[in-house]
Amino acid sequence: MSSLIKNELTKIFKKKSIYITLLVVLAFVILTNCIYKFFFTRGSEYGYSDSYIAYIKEDLAKLDPTNPSDTSMYIDLKSQLDTYELMQKYDEGAWQRQIIASQVATYVNEKNTYLYSAEKDEEKANEIENKINDTLQKLENDDWRYFANLDLEQANEKVQLLEEQKANTQDRQQLEELEISIENAKIDKEVAKYRVDKDIKYGTDYLNEALTTYQNYAKNIIQMGNFDNLEYEEKLEYNNSLEEKELSRYIIENKQDINKTNDTRGILKNFFSEYGLFIIVIVVMIAGTIVSEEFNKGTVKLLLIKPYSRTKILLSKYITILVMTVFAIAIILLMELIVGGIVFGYDSLSIPVVEYNFNTSQLEILNIFTYVGIEILTQLPMIILLATLAFALSTIFTNSAFAITISLLGFMSPSIINALVIQYKVNFMRFFVTMNWDLSEYLFGKLPSMQGMTLGFSIIMCLIYLFAMIIPTFIIFKKKNIKNI
Amino acid sequence: MENILECRSLCKTFGKKQILKDVSFDIKEGDILGFIGPNGAGKTTTIKLILGLQSITSGKVYINGYNVEKEFTKAIKKVGAIVENPDMYMYMSGYDNLKLVSNMYKGIGTKRIDEVVKLVKLENRINDKVSKYSLGMRQRLGIAQAILHKPNLLILDEPTNGLDPEGIKEMRELLVSLARNEKMAILISSHNLAELDNFCNKVCIIKNGEIIETSEISAIKKDIEHEKFIIEIENTKGINKIYKEAEIINDKVFKINIKRENVPDLVIDMVKNNIKIYEIKEDEKSLEDAFFERTGGNVIE
Repeated sequence: MSSLIKNELTKIFKKKSIYITLLVVLAFVILTNCIYKFFFTRGSEYGYSDSYIAYIKEDLAKLDPTNPSDTSMYIDLKSQLDTYELMQKYDEGAWQRQIIASQVATYVNEKNTYLYSAEKDEEKANEIENKINDTLQKLENDDWRYFANLDLEQANEKVQLLEEQKANTQDRQQLEELEISIENAKIDKEVAKYRVDKDIKYGTDYLNEALTTYQNYAKNIIQMGNFDNLEYEEKLEYNNSLEEKELSRYIIENKQDINKTNDTRGILKNFFSEYGLFIIVIVVMIAGTIVSEEFNKGTVKLLLIKPYSRTKILLSKYITILVMTVFAIAIILLMELIVGGIVFGYDSLSIPVVEYNFNTSQLEILNIFTYVGIEILTQLPMIILLATLAFALSTIFTNSAFAITISLLGFMSPSIINALVIQYKVNFMRFFVTMNWDLSEYLFGKLPSMQGMTLGFSIIMCLIYLFAMIIPTFIIFKKKNIKNI
Repeated sequence: MENILECRSLCKTFGKKQILKDVSFDIKEGDILGFIGPNGAGKTTTIKLILGLQSITSGKVYINGYNVEKEFTKAIKKVGAIVENPDMYMYMSGYDNLKLVSNMYKGIGTKRIDEVVKLVKLENRINDKVSKYSLGMRQRLGIAQAILHKPNLLILDEPTNGLDPEGIKEMRELLVSLARNEKMAILISSHNLAELDNFCNKVCIIKNGEIIETSEISAIKKDIEHEKFIIEIENTKGINKIYKEAEIINDKVFKINIKRENVPDLVIDMVKNNIKIYEIKEDEKSLEDAFFERTGGNVIE
């Protein structure tokens, strides 16, 4: 048996096609890494595009501020232009831009309102001008902590104000609304406090992103209320918000960019979504030809007159496919490690992967390789079922092109079908193979996207599909008449 | 001597069409059996049934005493074969192909591979890819893989296809020596009778799925030597009026069916009739003629 498997592997590795395929995969791995390295931009930037500025200038020239119908438009555009000009002083991505875009922009708009609108008030305009200059001075001094403290102070005041209001309110509905407002205000306060405590400068980096994410999802959770009263879809959303919130908290507290996608670790973390197609292509290519090619080339006769039963011969081919599956995963993993290492270096590998465990309500800190291992294990049912499909079709119909095409279709179509099934709650489809072969749905106590599915159910369904393909294949192969070739 | 291969009333039907009807024959060690029949007579089907490549509708095949259907792996262990074409893995070298085969049997070392390569005279090209081989070279590689594990039954389906006369001669010598020295039993199918003429010791003639003749080759040959003579004279016009059994071939040559001892009398008779004789020779019949005589030409149903 082992010598049969050895022979099958020899046949595969003596072919040029496997090396060409691997070279193409390598090219894609290099391309993926280079695109992440050189073209990846993250998050939003504060500023306006050049063409937009040109358009504002053009419009401003046409408008007459003294004409009442143009006034509000003029003020608006003028404020945008002024803000833009103030921003120009600082580099893209500098923290000052964020403050200008939020605080200073409001002042500028106020100032312009006093300057150009019907109720002109030079005095107030000057007052605001001073305020602006004050702020700009702080910006100039690189004193972002001033703004951070200001934010915290304001958030504190708001909470206090709301608490006072609550104490004076009797109406039950109003009380409820106030309580929600207080919760929200507390989140704002928490975020402001994080900024001060954790020394997080304004800007567009991952820490600021995490602060925003934390703020949004925490508020979303408050809005959704009690988990047990929710519909299933809402529960999914709730869990998602909870996960995002807790992960953001981890990022802020540990100052570790665990969501970064453009480094070796980030690409490894998304290993299957980046390179899953290549694994499937290699495996299906082998599984779809391993039997049919012997029939088409006539070499099957050589094989079948050797002192082995047909079952053993077919089994050795099936085991070879499983070996090649492991090989395909390992070699692509290796390619990514080498190419990623050359393009990005290996420093990022020390950063762990963090997952929120819904069973224990705690964060799980995993080594990147452990995480990749778990992810591959959860995708293995899909890879093996598709390989088995190609193998079965290739054996029964002895047509490689047909076997490969159908199996690749099987890889591509589920995303559409699964989405439809979940959207319209097509209940009987829970028995369909594509609904069951992605076990990552059940990781870390997550709720599966289809209500009522469990890990055990999915594993049993996958096994049923596996044997439903394997058994007929072996029976048909055993009985097959080798016709003239 | 024991039978190495026994076929007992083999029948094979595909749907309603009966391909083989009651085919029986056997081969003993050292035998070279010529399996002769026109295209479509069922030669390859018989071979496929023997090798377990197709299911047997009824009948039995025993190889070295083992039933092919019930104890396939034991029965096939000491069999080497080429079926239809010498199909090899074209993208590999000849040597790699032999290595694959050797892996599937126990105890075949590189020494045995080299030995076989030398035997089929492929040593110069054995490391080339099979896709670069001519058909004749592939036939020789096919024989090499078939005899690698020292089988005692060798089944060759039209092995001389694509070989030049020199190659055919070499193969004959190889097969004869295998039969003599290694005590192999050889089944060799062909429609090209001339090449079986000299070295088969048994023939089996099959037509429309039925065996119509099985006999020792010497017996067949004897059978057809019922003595015809070819006589060249000045003019054959009117000769059949004198000799009723004369068969006119052209205006100078005719054939006549008489016993050897009567030839001198015939000559005297012709001289008396004033016929000018230029040449008299015996008509040597080949196996091929016997074949066509018995099968009634190449008719495919």
